[in-house]
Amino acid sequence: MVKTPELILKHEILSDSEAKKVSKKYNIGLDKFPRIVETDVQVQKLKGKPGDLVAISRKDPTGNYTYYRLVVKD
Amino acid sequence: MHAESIEYIKFTTISPEQIKKMSVARLIVPDTYNDEGYPIDSGLIDQRLGVIDPGLRCKTCGGRIKTCPGHFGHIELVRPVIHPEFAKTIYSLLQSTCHSCHRILATQKEAAEVKEKVAEIVSSDELDTATVLSTIEEEVGKGKIKKPKSVKKCPHCGAQQRKIKLERPTFFYIDSNKMKADEIRDWLSKISDDDLKLLGMDPSATRPEWFVITVLLVPPVNVRPSITLESGERSEDDLTHKLVDIMRINQRLEQDIDAGAPQIIIDDLWELLQYQVTTYFNNETPGIPVARHRSTRPLKTLAQRLKGKEGRLRYNLSGKRVNFSARTVISPDASLTINQVGVPQKIAEVLTIPLYVTKWNIDEAKRYLERKEYPMVLNVITKEGMRKRVTEVNREELLKLVEPGYVLERQLVNGDVGLMNRQPTLHKLSIMAHTIKVIPGRTLRIHVSACNPYNADFDGDEMNLHVPQSLEAQAEARYLMQPRDLILSPRDGEPIMALQEDELIGIFLLTREGATFTKREACSLLAGVGVTDLPKQASKGKYSGKAIFSMILPKDFSFDGKLGGEKISIEKGELAEGTITVKLVGEGNGALLIKLFEQYGSEFVNTFILNLSKLAVAVSAMMGVTVSVKDYYNADQVNKELTAIIDGTRKKADELLKKYKEKKLDQLPGYTRKETFEIEVMAELESARTLAANVLRKYVGPENNTQLMAMVKARGNILNFVQTSMLLGQQAVRGRRPQRGYRGRVLPYFTRRDNTPEAKGFITSSFFTGLKPVEFFMHAMGSRDSAMSKSLVIAQSGYLQRRLINAMQDFYVGEDLSVRDAAGALVQTIYGGDGIDPSKEKLSE
Repeated sequence: MVKTPELILKHEILSDSEAKKVSKKYNIGLDKFPRIVETDVQVQKLKGKPGDLVAISRKDPTGNYTYYRLVVKD
Repeated sequence: MHAESIEYIKFTTISPEQIKKMSVARLIVPDTYNDEGYPIDSGLIDQRLGVIDPGLRCKTCGGRIKTCPGHFGHIELVRPVIHPEFAKTIYSLLQSTCHSCHRILATQKEAAEVKEKVAEIVSSDELDTATVLSTIEEEVGKGKIKKPKSVKKCPHCGAQQRKIKLERPTFFYIDSNKMKADEIRDWLSKISDDDLKLLGMDPSATRPEWFVITVLLVPPVNVRPSITLESGERSEDDLTHKLVDIMRINQRLEQDIDAGAPQIIIDDLWELLQYQVTTYFNNETPGIPVARHRSTRPLKTLAQRLKGKEGRLRYNLSGKRVNFSARTVISPDASLTINQVGVPQKIAEVLTIPLYVTKWNIDEAKRYLERKEYPMVLNVITKEGMRKRVTEVNREELLKLVEPGYVLERQLVNGDVGLMNRQPTLHKLSIMAHTIKVIPGRTLRIHVSACNPYNADFDGDEMNLHVPQSLEAQAEARYLMQPRDLILSPRDGEPIMALQEDELIGIFLLTREGATFTKREACSLLAGVGVTDLPKQASKGKYSGKAIFSMILPKDFSFDGKLGGEKISIEKGELAEGTITVKLVGEGNGALLIKLFEQYGSEFVNTFILNLSKLAVAVSAMMGVTVSVKDYYNADQVNKELTAIIDGTRKKADELLKKYKEKKLDQLPGYTRKETFEIEVMAELESARTLAANVLRKYVGPENNTQLMAMVKARGNILNFVQTSMLLGQQAVRGRRPQRGYRGRVLPYFTRRDNTPEAKGFITSSFFTGLKPVEFFMHAMGSRDSAMSKSLVIAQSGYLQRRLINAMQDFYVGEDLSVRDAAGALVQTIYGGDGIDPSKEKLSE
């Protein structure tokens, strides 16, 4: 596993209620979120299961923002 | 009700029974019309198949030409033939089953294992067929799923397996004996439903014996209409021709069989029937000759109708022709704003725009309808949607009829909107909504500053004009697509429509330090842009250019800035200090334009650009900006320094060569000695041009118009000037000095291994002095190389661009600034990661 934390974006698994809130915020079902496979290193580290929503904090030169990915089976 | 999402689409094959059920006529006569020109019953134009002649009624549904959808017929083939598109499937089915007991070549246990394995892969959420197939492929590779092909002996009946061969497109052999289509059909029909499931087929939808055609479906006449030529002669569609061929062979085959003809003759005819059917489906089937028309033109059969650029999909479904549009050559018009388009009278008279009659505009509508010349009404659409052409005869009558709810189609007039488009349509600025101005002539006119976003010039370019019809479309065009609102580029927020070329020279000459004009000149310049006042005199009878320029600035406008070391200051509408340059009003920078856009809005900038360009062109015309050979006679001092530069460069190159030969050259990391020498000598030789440019800068000022053009970034740069009057410099092929041609030399003129600058494309002549033959050749090498790589890069990047556009075409930025696709699925939580629209980024709010 890569161990250079500053290059790895912060991944976080949302609780059901948080996921529901995000889903409501964007007014779409979980299936309409971008996906991430359960075998992804970051997902494995967080022990994510298919159906979980992962929040990823991106750092850009122009600004920081969060985006979401739905864990799916490989 | 409509489906929220499509779960799946299933494609299956059609069975002979289904064909017979949907068919309205069994066709038996291989002909179309009889001698009286009447359709033959049970022929290919049987009247039960639908009507294509006006006035007749369909014998099946009673409908007329527009109402009868057409009906299928069928041909019963005397002997079955292989469906060419299924030959491969048939091949693998034959290979996977036993020739004797027709069971799958696997034991119950193996079969169960395979079944389980496949079910596992298929059911695992993977909806994508391609991934399922590749997973199965993988498992086969690992030996977890056994290939039936490799089985030598049938596990059920113990029969030794025989080798099946497929000779494309449709010929099967078993142990080198030819298999007939009816044998194959027989074999396929004996494969059990359970075995088929194991082989990846769904027997409830498709039985494999249907891959062998016994009954051929004949499309309705609407699909293959015949056309009547002027001579009254009928010409049939290619498909009809092909079907006639099939039926003729079919009939002969039947007669021969009935007459008990020898087997060889029957087999020959059978094979011919197979050929006819194969070409009926696809006349470009590999491995067989192309079926031709009497005129030796290849027939266009089913596959040819759909395939490729000219096929139904790409030609008729993805791309359509439109009404209410015009296309002609474009030319420049300095009197138009960037927001306008000049439309020739001839076009304006043909294109129409609907006038929706309401109780508020009925008087205006009637006034239009009364008119008998140019802006007049061409068509009236009644409340029922009937379109009637307005003629001298019915005008009065229509006038009485018109009431709210009617639509009048009137000719284009000044002020209507039209969408201008130039292909290739690469970005949103390739289609913009211009205000129409009707003008004489035959070409569409646009302002030169509007050329940049379209990437247009006037060397014969043509553009398309579309007239939005609905009020919604017109409003949308006006709100979103007007050039004046799109002056700032969505790429970087800099002006994309701004002053260019001699406008830049003019504005420089007008506003440069110390430029003064007489009263007469000042009046002439200002009157051209509609200013009737004179500014304050600079001295007696003299008006400064800066003051003249200031007259078109808003009176309350102030601007301060430092651009590239030059100070610029505008106070209360007066240009107090600095010269107007590209950096202020040009493409890709234009700080002044951005500021004006921000403070006074798009409409103001629109007219400002027009006035500025008019003023600037008037100045350059007044001052007489031109270039002549005089510009390229170097001063003695310049020639002296040029000789010094060439000699110096040669000397340095010689030194490098000497060092290289003596192996004293320090190798660059990762390069051989030879490469190091080439890199260093190339850098040295290429620097000659830069040195020459410095000399030009030092000795030649803006009194030389070529230099002036380059200085104000109007056209050309100092390097072009250097190449014209000083030296061409080092030529490059693939980024290196020219190397190839003859053994050890570029041209036979040189000795082998001559590594001097001249032998490797260093040109000391200029375009003005003319090139020596050898230099000319070197220059041609470099030019050809750069022309080739340029066209390659354009083709490659164009394709990449197209694929990106296709992939992202229905993404949109929602109200919350998130990016969604057509299904509403999230692509980005915030557009670009920061929600910034570059075209508004440079504005302060």
